[in-house]
Amino acid sequence: MKKVININFQGRVVPIEETAYDILKQYVEALRRFFANEEGKEEIINDIESRIAELFAEVLKKGSTCITDIDVNNIITSMGRPEDFEGEEEHAKTQLGGEQKQQNGYQQQANQQQFNGEPRRLFRDENHKVLGGVCSGIANYFGIDKIVIRIIAILLFSIFFIPYLIVWIAVPSSATKVIGSPRKRLFRDMDDKIIAGVASGLGNYFGVSAWIPRVIFLVPFLSFITRWNHWDLFDFPHFLSLSFSPGATIIYIILWLILPEAITSADKLEMKGQPVDLNSIKQTIQTDMEGFSGRAKKFGEEVKDKAQEFSTAFAPKAQQFGNEAAYAARRGSRGLGGFIALIAKIFAYFILGCVLVSIVTALFALGVACLGLLPIKEFIIDNGWQNVYAWGTLLFFIWIPVIGIITWIIRKLIKAKRNSFILRSTFIALNVVGWVCLICLIASVTRDFRYTNNPVEKNVTLTNAKVDKLEVRLSGYDGKYYKNHERWLEMEPFAGFNEDTAYVPNTRIRIIKSKTDSFQVMVLKMSQGYSKEQANSLAEKITYNIAQTDSVLALYKGITVNKIDKFRNQRIIITIAVPVGKRIMIDDKIGWKHNVHFGFNNDWNDDHWNRNYYNNDEDEDWEAGKEYIQTAKGLERLGSDKYSYDNDDNTVNPEQLKQELEEQQRVLDEKRKELNRGIEDKLKKIDEDKRKLEKTIDSTKSYRYQKTVANIKSETINKQTLVEVNDDDVMPSILSSYKIAG
Amino acid sequence: MDIQNTQSQMRKGVLEFCILSVIRQGEVYPSDIVDKMKAANLNIFEGTLYPLLTRLKNAEYLTYRWVESNSGPPRKYFVMTASGLAFYEELEKTWKELADAVHLLTQPATPTNNNNQPL
Repeated sequence: MKKVININFQGRVVPIEETAYDILKQYVEALRRFFANEEGKEEIINDIESRIAELFAEVLKKGSTCITDIDVNNIITSMGRPEDFEGEEEHAKTQLGGEQKQQNGYQQQANQQQFNGEPRRLFRDENHKVLGGVCSGIANYFGIDKIVIRIIAILLFSIFFIPYLIVWIAVPSSATKVIGSPRKRLFRDMDDKIIAGVASGLGNYFGVSAWIPRVIFLVPFLSFITRWNHWDLFDFPHFLSLSFSPGATIIYIILWLILPEAITSADKLEMKGQPVDLNSIKQTIQTDMEGFSGRAKKFGEEVKDKAQEFSTAFAPKAQQFGNEAAYAARRGSRGLGGFIALIAKIFAYFILGCVLVSIVTALFALGVACLGLLPIKEFIIDNGWQNVYAWGTLLFFIWIPVIGIITWIIRKLIKAKRNSFILRSTFIALNVVGWVCLICLIASVTRDFRYTNNPVEKNVTLTNAKVDKLEVRLSGYDGKYYKNHERWLEMEPFAGFNEDTAYVPNTRIRIIKSKTDSFQVMVLKMSQGYSKEQANSLAEKITYNIAQTDSVLALYKGITVNKIDKFRNQRIIITIAVPVGKRIMIDDKIGWKHNVHFGFNNDWNDDHWNRNYYNNDEDEDWEAGKEYIQTAKGLERLGSDKYSYDNDDNTVNPEQLKQELEEQQRVLDEKRKELNRGIEDKLKKIDEDKRKLEKTIDSTKSYRYQKTVANIKSETINKQTLVEVNDDDVMPSILSSYKIAG
Repeated sequence: MDIQNTQSQMRKGVLEFCILSVIRQGEVYPSDIVDKMKAANLNIFEGTLYPLLTRLKNAEYLTYRWVESNSGPPRKYFVMTASGLAFYEELEKTWKELADAVHLLTQPATPTNNNNQPL
């Protein structure tokens, strides 16, 4: 079933199928373009049209009720497509050109002008190619030297690789001058676009559904999220596998810039591979361009010879030439505007994309982190309701939004037309469940941590308390989880896991001065709990091994926590009393981070412990792994100072220290002088400015004063402002009154 | 270098000459030219013909007149002018020279040439 329309075609009324009419229209359009630069263009088109009309009449005479697609296609085949006769045209033109000499030459000149105004198209340069002619094609397109593009391409090989292949496949070679066969061209499909129609254009080109290239473009983004700390822009193999993020984006942007939009219906047909005759048009343009310089030279000579003879004939032509040049210029400027708009468009989409991707990434990372934390769940969370809350939070609070956003993006990409109301409300409902779970979980867990035990400090008996030096080291540490700073997810509170035991390096060290001549070690055990009793019992249960062998004090890798008692922030504060004149060194693997505290008073109370625990008020200069010596004034670092930090040499060099000190003093003095000078300059400037300001105020003062008063009156603001207005202080009061008015 | 291209180039060269020779025989309608050429086993697209005729007309080698048609609007019939005749005779001379030369060259050379040509 097809719609039939009546058209008035060259003076005949022709009933024609609508689709057939479209084909006819395209054909005539193609002819029009092909003959656009022909002198008797209208006449030629008219002749062809009237012949077609005659053929239509013949078809109708045979008894057909209307003209069908087949009829039109038959007629077009017999008439020939522009691509079929383009070679012949070219020949005839040059042959006649010889006869017609200057006139034709001039016409060609005008034609060239018009061609230059046309938007250029990218071709692979068959004549200057090294590999596929892509580089020289691009160079031609932008009017740059080929060698520049080639060097860039080689330097950025990894970036250029995939686009190069795509351009090679998709962009026609300049050698397609051989009578054009119907072929596909890569366009951006503006009818089915999401961003710029690149993916759907690719889909059209390869004859697949548009969402396949879309997913291919999106996959790198997904892999970017999953291996987000590994991608590297110049990582070549990843480019090959497309498993990196910037590559796909770059390819997309490059294609966006390179590919023309399929605007006309002819473009659209060509995009889908149906034969349209635009190829021949661009081929003519190219052939014409090729011999241009030679022709132009010839033309110039001829003009010189017969300038006078043709001067009169030139006048109207020159005007036409001017018009065409102006047209070309307009085209050019419009192109520039379009380019700026394009850049803005790219920028906007880029920002949007970044925001979306980062939201998804953040949630995704959170989700992965929580999955990673699953093994420790049992050490914190009670079985029963708390467990349910935990799972609910993980599933509904974290993963549901991730899945929701990804679903949304995919639906957007495949342009799902169906109303997603049910889907959306499901996601929202599940997310609400997630929120509830999260709140319950937080409330429940907080309750379990509510109380702290009563701290009791106990002495640890040392086997040899009289040693000169005590090194505090860690035992049982395997370094598997803890201190792996390269990993973004650090399972901070846990040093390791066994089947049913977790080790928590929840250790603080306080160093105080010993009152005796021997080392003293005291341990304070602390814990939280849902009640005071539980906290006390948990603190009692803490087992923490401290053993001295010679000068090494070995602390166990962590407090053991089992699944029954759970982690309730069990912690240990080890107080080491160092006698004057003796040394101490603390290994940097102990505790969470720098949690060594210098204590000088022994009268800590319960409150103090807590405060001290949460406020990291340890000496900032403290460094783990360095030896310190206890003096009457307090601890002092042994060995080199900060400037030769890595030096293992432990001897102090007072002279060197002195020199450095002097030098620093000098630098300091100079800086101080400079600062003073700066201040003086500034003061001077301020004085000048003040004077200037006063002058300007003088001239405008009375006017402004009046104006201010009027303003204030009209606004009926309290009188205090008026009082403030005095002659010396007009400016600030004006400002203040304006402020009030505003 | 592909064979089709060369062949079409060869045909194209003589196209104009052939068309002019048809028109020389008397007033013709373009589609008659195509028919006559087809009868002589020389296929051309009608679409090629019109621009060529227009160009020849603009060069004043041809002229046309409108002839009333019993069905539909009047048709254009082409006829050769005096300068067109001179142009044609020039072409004819060239063609004869060319044909003779080609004949002379190809006749004895055909067997060896075909064997020796690599592609």
